[in-house]
Amino acid sequence: MALLEVEGLSRSFGGVSAVCDVSFAVEEGAIVGVMGPNGSGKTTLFNLITGALAPDAGRVRIEREDVTGLPPHRICAKGIARTFQLVHPFPGLTALENVLVGQLYGRRRLPLGRAVAEAERLLETAGLGGKGHLPAARLTVVDRKRLELARALATAPRVLLMDEFMAGLTPAEVGEAIALIRRLHGQGVTLVIVEHIVWALLDLSHRIVVLSAGEKIAEGAPAAVARDPTVMDVYLGTAAGA
Amino acid sequence: MPGAALLHRPGASELRWAAVVLAAFGSLALLPLVVRRDDVLNFGVVFFLSVTLAQSWNLMAGYAGQVNLGHAAFFGLGALVTRALWIQGAPILPAMGVGAVVATVFGWLVGLPAFRLRGAYFAIGTLALAEILRITVGNSLPEISTLPAATIAGYSLTRRFYLTLVLAALAVATVAGTAASRVGLGMRAIREDEAAAEASGVGALRHKLLALSLSTLLAGLAGGAFAYYHISYYPQHPFGPQWTFDALLITFIGGAGTLHGPVLGALFYVFLKEYLAIRWVDLHLLIFGVLFVAIVLLLPGGLVEVFGRVRGRPRLTNP
Ligand SMILES: Nc1ncnc2c1ncn2[C@@H]1O[C@H](COP(=O)(O)OP(=O)(O)O)[C@@H](O)[C@H]1O
Ligand SMILES: [Mg+2]
Repeated sequence: MALLEVEGLSRSFGGVSAVCDVSFAVEEGAIVGVMGPNGSGKTTLFNLITGALAPDAGRVRIEREDVTGLPPHRICAKGIARTFQLVHPFPGLTALENVLVGQLYGRRRLPLGRAVAEAERLLETAGLGGKGHLPAARLTVVDRKRLELARALATAPRVLLMDEFMAGLTPAEVGEAIALIRRLHGQGVTLVIVEHIVWALLDLSHRIVVLSAGEKIAEGAPAAVARDPTVMDVYLGTAAGA
Repeated sequence: MPGAALLHRPGASELRWAAVVLAAFGSLALLPLVVRRDDVLNFGVVFFLSVTLAQSWNLMAGYAGQVNLGHAAFFGLGALVTRALWIQGAPILPAMGVGAVVATVFGWLVGLPAFRLRGAYFAIGTLALAEILRITVGNSLPEISTLPAATIAGYSLTRRFYLTLVLAALAVATVAGTAASRVGLGMRAIREDEAAAEASGVGALRHKLLALSLSTLLAGLAGGAFAYYHISYYPQHPFGPQWTFDALLITFIGGAGTLHGPVLGALFYVFLKEYLAIRWVDLHLLIFGVLFVAIVLLLPGGLVEVFGRVRGRPRLTNP
C-alpha cells in the first residue's frame, strides 16, 4: 500500500504554472528520487505536500488520510517531515533545543524529560555528538544541514522529504551524506529526495520522478529513467550547463 | 551525559534566575517593616510595576518574537476597568481580574486577525489600538479621576507595595514557567523561524495567542495595580505611549528573551528615571531616546550581555 499519495497536484504563481497536475505514490520503506532542472517545481512540490503552500488543485494523502490544505504543523503531526533547501535552523536555540522542538511537537510528542535523552541520541546519529549545547548560529554549514536533518527526524516522520541535502557539500561530505541516508533507510524511514547530484540520486533511489517546467515527464526505475530519451533531452540538456 | 543534558534543558537558566529574583523579592517584602519612608516604598511600587509591565512585554517579544508597539492599550484597559469597578465598591482583586480579562479580550481582537496575516500587522495593530483607546478615553472621560475622600483617608501605601510585589513575582514566575515548558520552546522556535517551527509541528497561531493572552493578562493586572495606587490621574494617562516605551526600553536595556534582563533593566531604568526626572525634567525623554539607540547599536543583548562577557562566556543574543 502506498504510504504517501500525491494526486493531480497543481499550483501556479501569477499565471506561471510551477507544479502542474503531478501525481505519484511512495510505498512504505521506499526511497523515491525527484529530479528536474532548476525551476522545474521540485521545491514547490515539497511545499505543497507539507502544507507550506496551498495547492490550486489536487490531493495529498498519507496512509489514505487526506491531508490536503492542512497547516504545516498538522501535516507534520500526521508524519510528513521535511528539510529545507536553504537550511532553516533556529539560530538562537542550541542544537539540542532545535531537536527538542521536533520531538515535543512532532508525531510522537515525547514528554520533556525523555525527549532530552533521545535528542542526544539523534544528534549523535546525525553526526553532531557533543555539540548539543552550541547555538545553531555557531555551527558550520555542514553541521547546520545535519541539524536540519536531526530536527526533521525528531518529529518521528512516516515519510521524510529532503530538498537538496547534498548541495554545497564537499565530495567527502557527499559520501557521508549518502551513507547517512542509507542508514536512515535501513532504520525504516521512507524518503523522498531531491538532489542535483544525478549519480547520487540514481544510486540511492528505488524509483525516480522527473519534473520539467512543473510537469511530470517520466517516472520509473533509475536505470530506465536514465535511458529515457525525453529525460536525456530535457533534463541533461539543461544540467550540462548548470 | 544526562547531567549535562539537564543543565542545557530549555528554561534551565530562567528557572535558576527566577529562584534568585524571587528570593530577592522575598527579602524586599521585609522592607516596609524596617523602613518607614514613603519615598522608598513609592520607589518599590514603581519598580515592581515596571518589572511586571516589562516582563509581560518580554514574554511576547523576547520569547514569542511578536513586537507589541501598543502595550499601553492593555495597561490602560486594566487601569480603566479596575478603577471604575473599585470606585463603585468592588473589592480590588476581583476588579483587577476583570480588568485583566478585558485587556486580554482586546488583545485577541487585534491578535486574531493580525497573526493570520503575519508581517508587521501585529505591531501596527497594537499601536493603532493604543492610540484609538487613548484618544477615545481622553474625549469621553476628560475629567481627572480622584479617589473618594474616605478611600484617601484609609489609604495604605504598604498595601500597594505588597500588591505590586506579588504582581511582579507573578510575572517573573509566569515567564520562568513558560520558558521551562514545552510551549515556551515552541514560542522561541516561532521567534527564530516561523516556517521551520510550523514544519516541525509547532502551531504558530496557537502559540502566539497563548503568549498574547499571558502578556495582556499581566499588563492588565499591572494597570489595575496602577489604578489602585494612584490617588488621582487622568483616565487617559495609562493609555499613553510612554508605558509601551517604558516596557520596551526596560526589556532591551536588560536583555530581551531572558528572565533576569527585564528585572535588572527595571532597576537601572527606574533609578535613572527618578534621578533624571528630578534634575533634568525637560531632557529626560531625550536622554532615554539616546540611551535606547545606544543600547540597540552597542549592546544588542542588553545589560545581561555585559555580565555574560564579564564571566567570559559570550552569549548569543536574542533578536
Ligand atoms: N513563492 C513563490 N512565488 C512566486 N513564484 C514561485 C514561488 N515559489 C516558486 N516559484 C516559481 O515556481 C517555479 C518552480 O520553482 P521551484 O519549485 O523552486 O523549482 P526547483 O526547486 O525545482 O528549482 C519557478 O519558476 C519559481 O520561480
Ligand atoms: Mg528547489
